[in-house]
This record gives sequence, C-alpha cells and structure tokens, in this order.
Amino acid sequence: MSQTGSGEDVRLAEGIDHQVAMVMDLNKCIGCQTCTIACKTNWTDGGGREYMYWNNVETKPGSGYPRDWEEMGGGWDEEGQERTPGDLPESEDYGRPWEFNHEQVMYEGSDEPLRPMDQADWGPNWDEDEGAGEYPNSYYFYLPRICNHCTHPSCVEACPRSALYKREEDGIVLVDQDRCRGYRYCVEGCPYKKVYYNAMKKTSEKCIFCYPRIEGEGPEGEVMAPSCAEDCPPQLRMVGYLDDEEGPIHKLVNEYEVAVRLHPEYRTEPNVYYIPPFAPPQHSESGESVEAERIPRNYLEELFGPAVNEALNTIERERARVERGEESEVMEMLTTTDTADQYRLEVFDE
Amino acid sequence: MDRRPLLLAAVLALAVVATTVAVPAMVSARPAYEIPVTAADDPDSLDSAEGEAWTEVPAAGVPLSSAGAAVPGGDDTTVENVRVASARTDERLYVRLSWEDGTRDTGADDVREFPDAVAVQLPANESARPPITMGSTDNPVNVWYWNGANASQELLAGGPGTTTTLTDSELRTAATYDGGRWRVVFSRPLAGASENRTTITGTRDVDVAVAVWNGSNMERSGQKATSEWYYLALGPGPQGPPYEAILWTVAGVAIVLTTLVTIEGVRRTRGE
Ligand code: SF4
Ligand code: SF4
Repeated sequence: MSQTGSGEDVRLAEGIDHQVAMVMDLNKCIGCQTCTIACKTNWTDGGGREYMYWNNVETKPGSGYPRDWEEMGGGWDEEGQERTPGDLPESEDYGRPWEFNHEQVMYEGSDEPLRPMDQADWGPNWDEDEGAGEYPNSYYFYLPRICNHCTHPSCVEACPRSALYKREEDGIVLVDQDRCRGYRYCVEGCPYKKVYYNAMKKTSEKCIFCYPRIEGEGPEGEVMAPSCAEDCPPQLRMVGYLDDEEGPIHKLVNEYEVAVRLHPEYRTEPNVYYIPPFAPPQHSESGESVEAERIPRNYLEELFGPAVNEALNTIERERARVERGEESEVMEMLTTTDTADQYRLEVFDE
Repeated sequence: MDRRPLLLAAVLALAVVATTVAVPAMVSARPAYEIPVTAADDPDSLDSAEGEAWTEVPAAGVPLSSAGAAVPGGDDTTVENVRVASARTDERLYVRLSWEDGTRDTGADDVREFPDAVAVQLPANESARPPITMGSTDNPVNVWYWNGANASQELLAGGPGTTTTLTDSELRTAATYDGGRWRVVFSRPLAGASENRTTITGTRDVDVAVAVWNGSNMERSGQKATSEWYYLALGPGPQGPPYEAILWTVAGVAIVLTTLVTIEGVRRTRGE
C-alpha cells in the first residue's frame, strides 16, 4: 500500500516498489490482431507454444479464448482471502493449431484457395464480429487481453513451488522456468486463463510484459513499451506506472476513474485497465437515433463491474465539454498521439 | 526321590513345543516398517522390472494414504497399496515398487494430461529422521522420482515445494506396465554418497518412504498417496536370514538339551 501526494490511495502489492500498468481504450480497437502477431512473433513462436497467445483479442459478447474462460473459475472468494478452485481448459478450448494447404497452393500449383485442411472447428476469436443483438441494433466490440500482472495474483498463490513470482521492481508476474515442474495449478488458478502450459517444455509460460523492452534491452538500448502497445496501429494502449502521479495511468485509473478492471469480482486486482466502449445509440428501423444505449449496461457491468457506470458517465461529461469547446484533460489523454504521453516508463529510473 | 530333574525335563519339553510352534511364525512376521534387503548377485536381472531375480526377493506391502497437502484436490488420491522389494549387490542398491493402476498414463502432452509417477524418499543425511513431508530446510531428503512421461530424476528437497533436481545423478530406472500393474525399479551405486545424497552402507538401516501418483486422476505435486517412514533393513539388526538362523539354532539346542535331560531324569527315577 502506498499513499500518493494527491491523497488517492494506490494499492500496490506488498514488497513492490512500483507497479507497471496498462490502460487500453476499447473505443479504438479495430480487431486487427497486430498486437497478437507482434507478441506471437516476439515470444511465442517457439516449440510447444503453437496454441498460445499471451496477447489475444476476442470479440465481445463472445466465448473468448480459451473458449468460455469466464466460466472456468479461479481467482479469490468475495473477501479476497481464499482461492476459489478453477479448471484446466481442454486443448480444444484453446483451438488446436491448424494445418494449411501451403504445400499444394505454393509449390504444387493447386487452384484451391489457401485454407485450413481440417480440425478448423474452433480457434481464438472464432466467433469474431458475431456479437449480440438484432439488426439494426446488433453490437460487439473487441477486447484485447494480456496477463494483468495482478496486484493479488492467484496464479502466484496457486503454485506450491513458488515458481511464479511478482517482481519487486515493477510488479511484473513471471514464471521461473527452473522452478516450474509443470503442475499447472497456475493455469487452473488464473481466472483470466493467462498462464499456458508448454507441453514440450513441461513448464508454464505467460506474458512477461515485454520486460526486456522496458528494461532497455533492445538493439539500441532504448526503453520501449511492450510490443503489443508499440505495434498497435490506433495506439490505444497507455503504459506506465500506477504510482506515477503525473502519468496518464494514474490519472485515468485513480483520479478520473474512467479506466476500469475486467472482472473485478475475481479479486486478483488486475493492473491492466480498460476505457469501456462507448457505442453510438440505438437506431430505429428507419435509421433514426433513439434514446437507448447500443451496448446494454448490464452486459458491461458483467464484464467490468458496477464501476463501469460512473466511468461511462464521466466520459460522456468530458466529451460534452470538448463539444462545447472546453478543456478536458481526460479527453486529451485519450486522444493524444504523442507516444511520450502514452508511455512513461523511465520516470522511476535513477 | 529327587523330583527336580523331572520338573526341569517337563519345563524344557514345554519350551520345545512352544518354540516349534512360535519360531516359524516369528520369522515370517517381519518387524513392522521393515523392508527386507536381499543380497543378490545378478545385476542384469535386477535392473529389469520383470527380472527373474525379483522372484527371489521378498516384498513388503506398504499401505498408502493421501499426503493431505494444501493443493486443490490434495486429499483425492486413488492408490492404496504399493509392494516394495529391495535387493543389493556388492555395487548397487535396488528398490522395486509395484502397484495396481487400471490406466497407464505416460503423457504430459496435453494441458489436461498427467503421467503416473512414483517416488522413493530417503533422508539425505541418515543421522536423523527428517519430517515425512519432504524433509525440512535443515534436514533435507534425497528423492528418487520416476514418471511415465520422462526419465527419472534424482531430487533434493527441504520441505514441500522445494524439490531441486540433482544434475550428476547415477540413478537408474526401469519400468513395465502389465496386467494393470506398474513395476518400477530404481537403483543406485552404493558408493557415491554426498552431502545431498544418502549414504548407503551394509551396516546401517536406511529410512525410506514412498509416494505414488495416478495420472488419470490428475494427481501431481502434493496430490499423492504416501506411506509412513519404513526402513530398508541393511543393518545387522534382527532381520532376515541371520535372525531366522539364530532362532532355529536356539530351538535345536533346546531340543537336544531337553532330550538329554529327560533321559537322565528317567534313568535317575529308575534309580539306575
Ligand atoms: S492475470 Fe492471471 S496470470 Fe496474470 S497475474 Fe493475474 S492471476 Fe496471474
Ligand atoms: S493491435 Fe491494437 S487495434 Fe489491433 S487488435 Fe491489438 S489492440 Fe486492437
């Protein structure tokens, strides 16, 4: 627990100097999966990781990845004291890697279109763009997900060998590959299903928040934001420290409270936050706007908890201010294209 | 008339009867928690889980119960018994475990797939018996581990969740699954003790405990069926063939003595 100057309470995990965090503005996600591929080619193109997406983008409402992960349990009870048991997903729930007819199309001159050969009956974001609701008021939005590097991570608690740990310097949650014996209690225990079992290595692996990049281990020795953030075409991810009072993360999360947690009821206290989707209103059959929200509030509450209501109200107020020609720090932070404002990763460097 | 020799004869005769009845029972009932170690000289046969030599080696039936560790499903274990046999040559110590398991689980290639496994736990340092739950920081255990998915491992543990792989292991294993039964042989050179590795001599018993995991029940880690501490009867204590021989010798001497005394008693009674 640390107290910031402005009086807001920023809860950090015990023994953590600073907590790295991300805010994703769901209003900007176009579902292009650039982040997914950036992550995949950086970290998960090795053996045993074919099915793994440390970063994935799913369509909501939808079953997600792994399929129906929200039904699999894990996390903590209401008091946040006792872990609630979770399930191990089936490999089919992740979707098996598909075989394509590359050989025939590329080398044998087949006229067939390039397509998966078989087993193509489920995969990450299989239900892309399906959403819910009826024409003309159907709705969906994209939900990019990485490990939340939780303040109270149930994956860490689940491991009987303490092979998962939260780094002291920035709260990044990592798996010690030498200590891990592949028991998979972390996979069960994470309610976001963001730890994966590598059957080839017989250990668990997960998103590392691109820690070598934020440590400046890149080719130029520069500090860089995680790949999923840097490579996102609409630049919807802000990265920094939750306890950096001057940064957008702290302001959006703690000051304006417009960035909310996904499934706060799991009580792992995620450090990835979302600006909830702010969809245009519903339309009548004749195409007129009507006074009804397109994405039902109760669905957003299911995802982001009751705090989503205040967040949306605040955003609406702030938008109205900008429309009136007034200043709005919130809208400035959400619309900036200056990466220096989006990524503040060197504030605590000595 | 001197009745004392007669009385003595009667007592001795009774003793013979008693000994004759009791001795076979005593030699077949081993002391509790003992795993006899048979001296053998056919290493090739002992190396194989189904080797001929094992038919000559008596096994102890060891009951198991769940370790009760604080992992989800920690109490949910399925294997209730394991048979443990042990033999030694001049060079190596062999321990063979066999248990019933209806499913042969040898993979860990799917997120929900766990292999069958077995482990033998020995105190790293024989001078004090470590806590049964994987030892403790200042009293670690040396663990021989095998599972159906990969080769065996020799581990060191100083309490639950602390197992570390020893890299320079000379542990050997062989396993078979037949008729719904796993048979797994572990062996190690008698020499090669170290700080982390149990000293095995022919002059001292060695404590031993075992654990079995059933993969199809998703058993792993602390979700395992474990025994209490037993001991490998390597020392000179009351055990095996020497114990039996001593008892039979005592019985034989008693029979001869009794007969002599009886004869003498009869002669005296007749006043010869
Ligand atoms: S999201 Fe899951 S894996 Fe990541 S820190 Fe939280 S509990 Fe652990
Ligand atoms: S790269 Fe950005 S816009 Fe594209 S899917 Fe990922 S988060 Fe959404």
